[in-house]
Amino acid sequence: MNKSKTFFTYIFLSIAAFISIFPFFWMLVSATNLSVDVTQGRLLPGSHLIENFQKLTSSVDIIGALGNSAKISISTTILALLIASLAGYGFEVYRSKAKDIVFNILLLSMMIPFAAMMVPLYRMFGKISNVVPVIGIDTLASVVIPTVTTAFLIFFFRQSTKMFPKDLLEAGRMDGLTELGLFFRVYMPTMKTSYAAAAIITFMSSWNNYLWPLVVLQSPENQTIPLLISNMGSSYAPDFGMIMIAIVFSTLPTAIVFFVMQKHFVAGMVGSVK
Amino acid sequence: MKKMMFLLLATVFMLSACSGNAGSGASSDPAKKEITVWAWDAKFNIAALNLAKERYMAKHPDVTINIIENAQADIVQKLNTGLNSGTTKGLPNIVLIEDYRSQNFLQAYPDSFRDMSDSIKSADFADYKAGPTNYNGKQYGVPFDSGVTGMYVRTDYLKEAGYTPEDMQDIDWDKFIEIGKAVKAKTGKDMLTQDPNDLGLIRAMIQSAGTWYLKEDGKTPNIAGNAALKEAMEDYKAMFDANIVKTNSDWSQFLAAFNSGAVASVPTGNWITPSVKAEASQSGKWAVVPFPTLKNTPNSVHASNIGGSSWYVMNVDGQDTAADFMKETFGSDKELYQDMLNKIGIIGTFKAASTGSAYDKADDFFGGQKIYADFAKWTTEVPNVNYGLHTYAIEDIMAVEVQNYLAGKDIDSVLNDVQAQAEAQLK
Repeated sequence: MNKSKTFFTYIFLSIAAFISIFPFFWMLVSATNLSVDVTQGRLLPGSHLIENFQKLTSSVDIIGALGNSAKISISTTILALLIASLAGYGFEVYRSKAKDIVFNILLLSMMIPFAAMMVPLYRMFGKISNVVPVIGIDTLASVVIPTVTTAFLIFFFRQSTKMFPKDLLEAGRMDGLTELGLFFRVYMPTMKTSYAAAAIITFMSSWNNYLWPLVVLQSPENQTIPLLISNMGSSYAPDFGMIMIAIVFSTLPTAIVFFVMQKHFVAGMVGSVK
Repeated sequence: MKKMMFLLLATVFMLSACSGNAGSGASSDPAKKEITVWAWDAKFNIAALNLAKERYMAKHPDVTINIIENAQADIVQKLNTGLNSGTTKGLPNIVLIEDYRSQNFLQAYPDSFRDMSDSIKSADFADYKAGPTNYNGKQYGVPFDSGVTGMYVRTDYLKEAGYTPEDMQDIDWDKFIEIGKAVKAKTGKDMLTQDPNDLGLIRAMIQSAGTWYLKEDGKTPNIAGNAALKEAMEDYKAMFDANIVKTNSDWSQFLAAFNSGAVASVPTGNWITPSVKAEASQSGKWAVVPFPTLKNTPNSVHASNIGGSSWYVMNVDGQDTAADFMKETFGSDKELYQDMLNKIGIIGTFKAASTGSAYDKADDFFGGQKIYADFAKWTTEVPNVNYGLHTYAIEDIMAVEVQNYLAGKDIDSVLNDVQAQAEAQLK
């Protein structure tokens, strides 16, 4: 009875694992095949990896695009974590009726889809371009600024702060820390777990962000990875082998961030229990 | 406190790393010597632009031309956002727009595009390009590539079934289906491959009869009572009923169907030539025959179109330079068109350039057939229709109803339903 239960569990898990792993397998295999083989569904690794790679590097600036994506994602993540955690901390620790109202308004703003804000936002940045061109349209900063903080992240940090032992703050005050000092030296180290989770979410959504960078970035030297890949697919005769290599490159950083953060995730958990 | 200082420093550093070179302010300078062009497809449109740029720069070394590659859907999104927001910031000087979509932009934002009537003549280009590139009697677009259709056929499969390409020079779709059945019976291969969500074949069939999803005003749906469309749909269903269609669900499966040798013919635009030739082992086994006609629609001809696009100059700084660039290259340069065909395989729609050595070349992949000369000839025969404002919107409705039709729904009620839905949606 128990044995057959385990057996079916394994069958089910194997199918689930296959479904989630197969696309990655397909991506890696296709990166080594010619476009014609990819369209015909070849499942065996081919010998055209280097050829595909050379075609990719000679036809598009993949390093530049990776660099742009990295600059945008890293600065967005750092700024968003700092700002949203300060806000979430503030809302929860210095509570008042008025602040709760502001917080509720903030929550409502989560319901506005980005597509609805895009045109006004673009108009705004068009105006900003005339005054402060360094953060106007077609700069990497213009991609970072609208996403440096989101209602969701503030909400996330406020919820996490509810778990934060407030006695620690009292202890800190006794030891003569300023309010900001409390935040940076008591709150931040204790909340590593939440920061790790928030960093993963923010980095991934920033790395894969498509719509806003698409409309606001114009010159090829500012292109991010999702835009680059989108361009390669829009063709009467797309080169799938080359596209797959580019996708491998775009997937690696998110995978790395995830695995690195996962480790901290666990460390943070242990730290907060101590 | 150290940590905080570090974070602040990191923030400042990151922000400064992100602020790059930005465009200049909004001054009006129509003769500005630096222009920007948006297009898609590195191996096709961008490659053509680079040829044009090279030739133009040789005569005008003081001009800077920035060519920017974006996916087609992305260009549509960017243009819509930019035009909608009312700021000319970030808009290009020249943009490539697919012919099916051009009227949307021209009618919604006529002031944002430059009237090119002074720079080029509509009559210099294939007649059917006038529909999409004209608006209100003004010539806005510079017609670019020909999406003229042909019927790519596998001569070896046809031979097994007892046919030759000569038998297919003047056929209608009924005859095509008959040949398809013979091919299937003898070789086991399907005659063609279709994606039920992409009705390019039906579009091409009705354009061959000079009609479209929309009436000539480009706004009123022309579905119910459209005899050519009804016949095209009946032929389309007959193909499925005869079991000679291999269905595909996306572009890569479409390419795979003929690259792998699973189908005996590909009725589509000439831009598929490089993809057909990608499978070098099939060299000598292909030929291109004229597009079949609709049997019961008298004005249906052996020429039609799928896709194709044109250049549009925008009303922003540098527009004089942009217009001059277009005029001297795509608007008049015969040599450029020869180069485009030789080096890229693009068939243009500029009439004066549709002959010459590049077009007269025999292609061994197609058994020595002069396919480019054939395509150039057919380009001149494509009927002109107004693609209007809603081609893709109607196609979305059609795609659903075509499924119902294939499942057995009556043709007249299918057309009436599409008409009703289109009228309700596109008010």
